[in-house]
Amino acid sequence: MNATAMAALRLLGGVILAGLVWEGVVVLFGIRPHLLPRLSEILAAIAFTPGAYWAGLQRTAAETLIGFAAGTAVGIVNGLVFFRAPLLRDMLLPVFVVSQTIPVIAFGALVVMWFGNTLMAKAVIAFYLTFFPVTVNTLLGLNSVDPRQAALLRSFGATPTQILFRLQLPMALPQIFVALRLGASLSLVGAIVGEWFGDNTGIGVLLLQAMYNESVVALWAAILCAALLGTGFYALVAWAERRIVFWGAEQ
Amino acid sequence: MNRRHLLAATGAAAVSPFIRPAGAQTLTRATLRLKWLTQAQFAGFYVALQKGYYREAGIDLTINPGGPNLLTENLVASGADTFGLSGGTDSVFAARERNLPIVCAGVMHQQTPFVFVTRADGPIRTLADFRGKTITTWFTGANFVLLGMLAQAGLSRGDFTMQPQQVSVQPFVDRQVDVVTATRYNEFFTLMNRVGRDNLRSFVPDDHGITFPRDTVIVSEQTARDRPQMVTAFLRATIRGWREALRDGKAGVDAVMSVAPTLNRPHQEFMMEEAGKLMVAGGAARNGLFWIDRPVVQAAHDFFLRHEVIKTPLDLAAAYNSSFLEAIPLADRIA
Repeated sequence: MNATAMAALRLLGGVILAGLVWEGVVVLFGIRPHLLPRLSEILAAIAFTPGAYWAGLQRTAAETLIGFAAGTAVGIVNGLVFFRAPLLRDMLLPVFVVSQTIPVIAFGALVVMWFGNTLMAKAVIAFYLTFFPVTVNTLLGLNSVDPRQAALLRSFGATPTQILFRLQLPMALPQIFVALRLGASLSLVGAIVGEWFGDNTGIGVLLLQAMYNESVVALWAAILCAALLGTGFYALVAWAERRIVFWGAEQ
Repeated sequence: MNRRHLLAATGAAAVSPFIRPAGAQTLTRATLRLKWLTQAQFAGFYVALQKGYYREAGIDLTINPGGPNLLTENLVASGADTFGLSGGTDSVFAARERNLPIVCAGVMHQQTPFVFVTRADGPIRTLADFRGKTITTWFTGANFVLLGMLAQAGLSRGDFTMQPQQVSVQPFVDRQVDVVTATRYNEFFTLMNRVGRDNLRSFVPDDHGITFPRDTVIVSEQTARDRPQMVTAFLRATIRGWREALRDGKAGVDAVMSVAPTLNRPHQEFMMEEAGKLMVAGGAARNGLFWIDRPVVQAAHDFFLRHEVIKTPLDLAAAYNSSFLEAIPLADRIA
């Protein structure tokens, strides 16, 4: 049996163990269901209306992915531009910082007025939370490249574009991936918060409905879905990092 | 050429949600912003939508649920939504005071939808017993209703502790507070389940002469001025949906739960029944659903003015417009 399969088995074992402990503790200590329901009750609630949870999962995943992808692309481009044009960096970076101090709740109310109750509105909030860390970390990564290495390549006759793609960008990748892992969870938060501004589908909608109806089982069901989505997305980014930054970054 | 085809196809695909099969008449696209998340409180709108009553009235309606961070008045005033089911007479007053160009075209709940709840076996038997007790309530209007009620019993602000009420009624269930605020159709259900119907005592604002109509249908002044027929058509279709939902509550709950299937059915059936009672109470009995009961609105206005929630008297004739309702025959409006 290879190492990956072993790791997967260990993970599965851990999840099952945690589930058993949850179930056992609630039954053993007689915890009241409105504080912490049994895991089996929560899973039964999901199984009762699987369509709603599945649709919510898909919708929230789509919003998260679109926001994350746009945030990553814009963040990396921003980083590159700021690296090449320090004047622009000095002019725009403070504006970006200001934009990030606006609480996402306040920003969300505006986004609803601009984009309505569309998937795009949620993606915009996810984007808003993602692009800034990617911008900063890209810039940081590019700045941390040893100028002597760039000088060496230049002395071999490399063009600026070649230096960028063969030296600077690869060297910045570990830093960029730190931001991407952060962005993976932030974009999910953005999508869920976005769904709190009135919608019919999504994990955030299920969370909100359960919360205000004081339906604790449904609340936990939505939390489990959010956790599943968040963990899955984070794992995906971490996997991409291992494949792309194969020379070994912090894991 | 290929690329052009592709572009055309993509364009058509992007636009297609907006192209509906042409009916007998052209449809006007419009949205309705609810005051809260999808639940049986709004069943009639969903019945009307699903049965095609809005389409028959020439409106291609989208229902947008509300949420904790949204103010329906803002969304309607800014044009983001065409129609709104907003907080109530209180939020309409507040919006008009801020010069938001919105008009109320109908009132859904004719009575105060919330009550103040204590334990039947507790020390509070009359309003005077509120002295020295801890009360949680919503600081969005309910607090002033309570102050008004307690003033009648001779109590003023310093005589009791009033705290903002959070999402959950659990502090009351755990006996951490003495009085909790509950809408008759929502929180009261949770209280019944956790404490038991017979263990609760309710203080009803309407029994103390304070009626506070809520759940108001609003449109922007521009819509009211330029498209009055559409407002009337919207109300007619809405009332049609509500008459069915009130007659067959189960079908009303079905319509809601087809949109929000994770809701708890017993809770929604209770809500349907209680919210229905609020809709047919008071002036609605004689004048039909969504009736704007002017003397009651005036009394609520004067009450808020007296408590300085609104600072200057408002032009209620401009803020509340019954003409859209009155264009519908009375027989079609009675529940």
